Amino acid sequence: MEDDPGVEAELGQVGRALYGSFPQRSRNPVKALDARAMELASQDAELRAALFRFVDVTPACRSLDDLARHLSGYLSEVDEKPPSLEVAMRMAGTKPGRAALGVAAAGGVRHMAHRFIVGESPRKALPVLRELWEDGAASSVDLLGEATVTEAEADRYAARCAEALDTIAEAAPRWPERPQLEADSLGPLPRANLSVKVSALTPHIRPDAPALGREDASRRMRPLLRKARDLGAHLHIDMESLDALETTMELIFELLDEDEFREGPSAGLVLQAYLRESPNQLDSILAWARETPRTPPLVVRLVKGAYWDHEIVEARQHGWEAPVFEVKAECDRNYEELTRRLLDARPAVRVAVASHNLRSISHAIAYNRYSGAEDRDVELQVLRGLGDELGHALAAQGFRVRVYCPVGDLVAGMAYLVRRLLENTSNESFLHEQAMGVPLEELLAAP
Amino acid sequence: MKPFANEPTLELRRAPARESLVNALRELEPKLPLSVPVLIGREQGAHEGFESTDPGSPDRVVATAGRATEADAAAAVEAAAAAFPAWRDMGADARAEVLVGAAQILRSRRLELAALQVRECAKPWGEADGDVCEAIDFLEYYAREAVRLEQGPDLLQVPGERNTMRYEPRGVCVVIAPWNFPLAIPTGMTSAALAAGNSVVLKPAEQSPASALALVEALREAGAPPGAISLLPGFGEVGAALVRDPRVHVIAFTGSSAVGLEIVRSSADTPEGQGHVKRVVAEMGGKNAVIVDSDADLDDAVPAIVKSAFVYAGQKCSAASRVLAHEGVADALLERLSGAVNVLIVGQADDFAIDVPPVIESDAQERVLRYAELAASEGRIVGQQAKIPANGWFCPPTLVTDLPPGSAVLRDEIFGPVLAVERVKSIAEACDALERSPFALTGGLFSRNPETVAEVTRRTPVGNLYVNRHITGAMVGRQPFGGNRRSGIGSKAGGPDYLLQFVEPRVVTENTMRHGLVVE
Repeated sequence: MEDDPGVEAELGQVGRALYGSFPQRSRNPVKALDARAMELASQDAELRAALFRFVDVTPACRSLDDLARHLSGYLSEVDEKPPSLEVAMRMAGTKPGRAALGVAAAGGVRHMAHRFIVGESPRKALPVLRELWEDGAASSVDLLGEATVTEAEADRYAARCAEALDTIAEAAPRWPERPQLEADSLGPLPRANLSVKVSALTPHIRPDAPALGREDASRRMRPLLRKARDLGAHLHIDMESLDALETTMELIFELLDEDEFREGPSAGLVLQAYLRESPNQLDSILAWARETPRTPPLVVRLVKGAYWDHEIVEARQHGWEAPVFEVKAECDRNYEELTRRLLDARPAVRVAVASHNLRSISHAIAYNRYSGAEDRDVELQVLRGLGDELGHALAAQGFRVRVYCPVGDLVAGMAYLVRRLLENTSNESFLHEQAMGVPLEELLAAP
Repeated sequence: MKPFANEPTLELRRAPARESLVNALRELEPKLPLSVPVLIGREQGAHEGFESTDPGSPDRVVATAGRATEADAAAAVEAAAAAFPAWRDMGADARAEVLVGAAQILRSRRLELAALQVRECAKPWGEADGDVCEAIDFLEYYAREAVRLEQGPDLLQVPGERNTMRYEPRGVCVVIAPWNFPLAIPTGMTSAALAAGNSVVLKPAEQSPASALALVEALREAGAPPGAISLLPGFGEVGAALVRDPRVHVIAFTGSSAVGLEIVRSSADTPEGQGHVKRVVAEMGGKNAVIVDSDADLDDAVPAIVKSAFVYAGQKCSAASRVLAHEGVADALLERLSGAVNVLIVGQADDFAIDVPPVIESDAQERVLRYAELAASEGRIVGQQAKIPANGWFCPPTLVTDLPPGSAVLRDEIFGPVLAVERVKSIAEACDALERSPFALTGGLFSRNPETVAEVTRRTPVGNLYVNRHITGAMVGRQPFGGNRRSGIGSKAGGPDYLLQFVEPRVVTENTMRHGLVVE
């Protein structure tokens, strides 16, 4: 389906206005990242691999010397090194050199991590959450952690989630009033908002036995839903790789259908537009939402999806058809189609459009307006560290923005960080295109 | 022929794929027990003599099989010798067509054959499906390899002479196969021998005769002459008779070290009238270790180690049974591994939601339990799933540490769900430990330091080293598989050298000069 020309016209206006309100330097968000390293990384695949492997291993290194040895090990596999990295290689040849290199490199990684991760714990994240709120953006906290492979780890994650809900819900009432963030046409919106991962709530995620993980995760999810309901907080269930999809969807449908959760908490799920089957998934979500009316309604967060490489590799290694769109334009078109369908499905669901793609965001805003709804009836979500400027621009223009805020320590944060960096330096990434100076008309062109 | 590609496994994360397997099992069940006859050339021999049973429910008979005798062995070798010249002379292309045809037949029966393994060997669904795919891969891969090999290598040529080199099949090949890959491994050895032009007598494991019958049926239906592939279900004595037979040229064996070494000894004999020395291809045991460096990502290492050690109850020759953990990471690793072992689910192979099925038979259960007891008395059990079904040959998956250096638990191949963790001060110390082991089949390394990866690659003698992943599940054409030292003699299955063991090279040099004239 194509949009009415009116939507395209509106979209252009919205996009130009947003673009115009980006601070000058940040029209180039890749450069805004301290990462000269990032700029280098986006230009050279070998170098990118070396740098990301280094970021990934940083928390596991035992000493600065160890750290420097890893760095030089990765760089030695890069054929053509820029001069600055040749210097690093030479430094790695001596013990004092390695110490200095280790300090510099560890500092770089920590600095980078802090752009994406708002604090080590929910309590430490509170000042940032408040600041965001004051600046006109709501938040959703995501607790980073190591993979869950034991019962104890699942219990620990559940306890961290409960503590996060308590901490945020306790602090949030003291935040100043921000009417644009606190209600849409369907009613009030919770201030406290936590995103949780099903795979962290059970050691039993098994793609070929979804019921196993679902049952085990359910017994840890129920107390969280009760707590969120009692505290008036929102609980959002994240989506991960396709291997956990059936487990996750069935868990959500089953739990929210239980009598005690019919009237709360506010809860949500995620639809990944890069999946070829996402239109069918939306059918089931909408069918479920209509059969199982909730107050407040289910929130559907539309994302592109963050496990593209993983899905492609897994499919290739097994000889399966790739479950994701392999052509960016197809994915972008699907994103817009899903946006239209979701916005049309209100009030059965609430809609959150999570993207850093100026075109996708502008399209959602334009289609929402064109369908006669108010701006506050669509939520726009960005990621901390990547979508900061876009978030500011949206907030400044009075849109309802939510920033996805990872919380956790450096060790736990690395997997997340590397995924974000990959996304940021991928040639297909919108942010990358924007940084490389692709003209606005092209950025806003229909996919 | 299209270039080789691995047969895609079923996408079991999709409900319809799972349902297709469950339905196949439902359809198979009323047909049990299957009947497996002795097949010697065109003759059908006994079809009763012993039974294969379901390890998860030993009262359930999966197949009744004829028990081949020593006389049957002699007759089968006779039939193979008779069939050999015609099969050899068909040429590689025609033989390849037969193999590819057999692959197609297995493909069309893949669900049923996976279901059969679930019952006959308690092989869990994903593993059983993978086994059938691997069998298909071997047929497709060796078919192509034989066509390639027939071209012969290029030799240096100078004026006045013509040099050619070609590979000829050796003759009668005896295949003695194990039960743990009840279709894939017999298919691999058999199809390699056949593709290269040999005739085959197949003696499958007594625990899994029905899967082997499916292979023989497929090959014959696809056009293999009956004499070129005979089936002798039975026990050790028939295998021993085959190995002794002076008309046999090649023995391809996969199984235990004890039997493998006995075959090596027995086949070395060259009695009066045997005009050749037998060639033995033997894949034997392993005692496989995973090294975990201090910089390893435990989020990856823990699930990969658990998978390597406990999938199919550790009954793969590639399975991990030792972990050598750098002291910098040993405590954290041990804590997480023990938690991961404690949540393993032990149950019937036909249930998708299990991690550890039963072991193959009563003797195996006794052996594993004996080692688990020894582990408990000599070391410290740090993880165990004691909740196991009452009937069937189930064993609790067990994680042990603090064993004394000479412990049999660290030395012997247990072939069951027992994993031992040892602490090392350095990666060099871990390599030293591996160096002392007579086994060298698979190994694993978790490290994010390129220098460590290079060092361990250089030092470990194993046939297959896996870096930052699980150490089982070698794929045809991608991970040619086989052990070194006392883990095996011969070259790697599913790799470019494998067929060379089933042929002998012949070189012809022709003088093309006649009275000063080059007559080419």
